[in-house]
Amino acid sequence: MNDVPRDPMGRPLTEPTAPSLADDAVLTQPTTAVKDLPIEEWDESTLVLGIETSCDETSAAVVKGGREILSNVIISQGDLHGEYGGIVPEVAARAHVEALTPVIGEALLRADATFWDLDAVAATLGPGLIGSLLVGVAEAKSIAAVLEVPFVGVNHLEAHLYSNLLTHPEAKFPALALVISGGHTLIVNALSDGDYDIVGTTIDDAAGEAFDKVARFLGLDYPGGPEIDRLSLLGNPEAVKFPRAMATESGFDVSYSGLKTAVINHVRKLETAGEAVVVEDIAASFQQAVVDIQVAKTMAAVEYVEAERVFLCGGVAANSGLRQGLGDACAARGISMTVPPMELCTDNAAMVAACATAMIRRGRTTSLDAAPDPNLRLA
Amino acid sequence: MLVLGIETSTPQASVAIGSEQGVVASAMVSRGANYNEFLLPAIRFCLEESRLGYRNLGAVAVSLGPGLFSGMRVGVATAKAIAQTLSLPMVGMASLDLVAYEVRYSAKTICAVLDARRNEVFHAFYRSSPGGIQRMTEYRVEKPGQLAIGIASRPEEVLLVGNGSLLYRDMFEELGSVCEVGTMSHAFPNARSLVELSLPRLFREDFDSPYDLKPLYLRHSARRIQWERIRTERSA
Ligand SMILES: [Zn+2]
Repeated sequence: MNDVPRDPMGRPLTEPTAPSLADDAVLTQPTTAVKDLPIEEWDESTLVLGIETSCDETSAAVVKGGREILSNVIISQGDLHGEYGGIVPEVAARAHVEALTPVIGEALLRADATFWDLDAVAATLGPGLIGSLLVGVAEAKSIAAVLEVPFVGVNHLEAHLYSNLLTHPEAKFPALALVISGGHTLIVNALSDGDYDIVGTTIDDAAGEAFDKVARFLGLDYPGGPEIDRLSLLGNPEAVKFPRAMATESGFDVSYSGLKTAVINHVRKLETAGEAVVVEDIAASFQQAVVDIQVAKTMAAVEYVEAERVFLCGGVAANSGLRQGLGDACAARGISMTVPPMELCTDNAAMVAACATAMIRRGRTTSLDAAPDPNLRLA
Repeated sequence: MLVLGIETSTPQASVAIGSEQGVVASAMVSRGANYNEFLLPAIRFCLEESRLGYRNLGAVAVSLGPGLFSGMRVGVATAKAIAQTLSLPMVGMASLDLVAYEVRYSAKTICAVLDARRNEVFHAFYRSSPGGIQRMTEYRVEKPGQLAIGIASRPEEVLLVGNGSLLYRDMFEELGSVCEVGTMSHAFPNARSLVELSLPRLFREDFDSPYDLKPLYLRHSARRIQWERIRTERSA
């Protein structure tokens, strides 16, 4: 694979194209060699191209054997949405159309592979923003059609679970997973590949959404989550005792709407009283409340399903307080917790390719007339 | 050179494969709406029925709109991915050009009008020229009433084509005999015209790169418009 011919732009050159229709030979020549690998041959050397465009990250990755990341290119649209203070679906969809082709080219280049080395092409089918999903699914299906290799439509939430398997050789199912991001807050009992039970969720805002809303209220830059995390390190988490509202005392669901309101009311009260608003303290106290709520519910679920392993994943898994808090709670219970490195916590295509590889091993591929599903469910 | 043409910018989606010797296969659907389900099976149908494979293709042509945002994106994304995978040259053409091209033998000025929803139309004016058409105005999005005023102010007779001219037929026919509205068979841009129109550009090697080709939106997103209004009000 090292001596792949390149064009002047550095893109890998593919097979030569055919002459015009006038050439009779065209009509009798075989089209492509069908790469119809039996499932048992999906070994350590199979290459899968993953594509992820469910929200505001454009990503493509090449993963070998479902475990080895050869490349994982991610372009974040954060700057584009910053001025609106949140993701604008139409803006996101337009940016994906422009970014995806170069991102795919770069992913192949970094993996030192050509399209013709690929054994399958995967894309996120949902859940996510419909306009954004459409772009990734259309491109992935087209590439798979041309190469005559399987297309695999992947559930974005299931892909997050595989970000742990991808980066921790010792990690395996069964595990209790906390999938926590700007769009989702799920506690999942992952029994084995493809067999998942949702044991808890949020009854209102996702955790990342609460971070963003509080950050916006405090006048912090978008995206607000990382900004609150950064300020938290400078503030006192005990400064304000925000309520630790548990949606239901017995279940594993959480609620962040009340906490968000409490922060807003607290700041307004300070302002009315003419007292100083120490943003660092408020950020630290808010973050501590989220961590306490989420760790309590996750550990209750761990006990309930008798989990011996915890996966932390999703964009908010990058939060230092949550990593520390859940890590400590798991250590105290004597079970292991794994969390992927930062670039695999946020939305990325490597996890999509890894998930797709596991699906193919189970004989699961997707038809070329499949359409994305913005509300695709995990279980 | 065999060209694959993809047109999905209006409620009528089509694909075609052809060369300088004519179109060899095409597929069209007007009630599918979901281009993601239609497109690849339709291309496969065209290839199989003409005993061709993707590797026989020499170029990819795609309609860039203006039109329906989702349709344009699916078409452009599909065309880019096929061109990128096969390292094929590609060209992007405007949907309005394709509509006008259908009536290129008219001696009148041609105005291609496509429904832009929200009570607006996309349009451009053309005159026929040897072997094709020549665009005389920018691609615009306007209220049909504004377009009618524009047509009334022109000295020459105008032939209107495209689903936008049919939708607002009453408004245009009020202008009298200077304004003729075309028939239903020319209501939508189609991939056959796209293949034909793309050939001269392909022979001139006037290619677009799949690395930076994008749809012709002609409109900002609703949120962006709203945001700019707020900003102007604030600064006012
Ligand atoms: Zn995600």
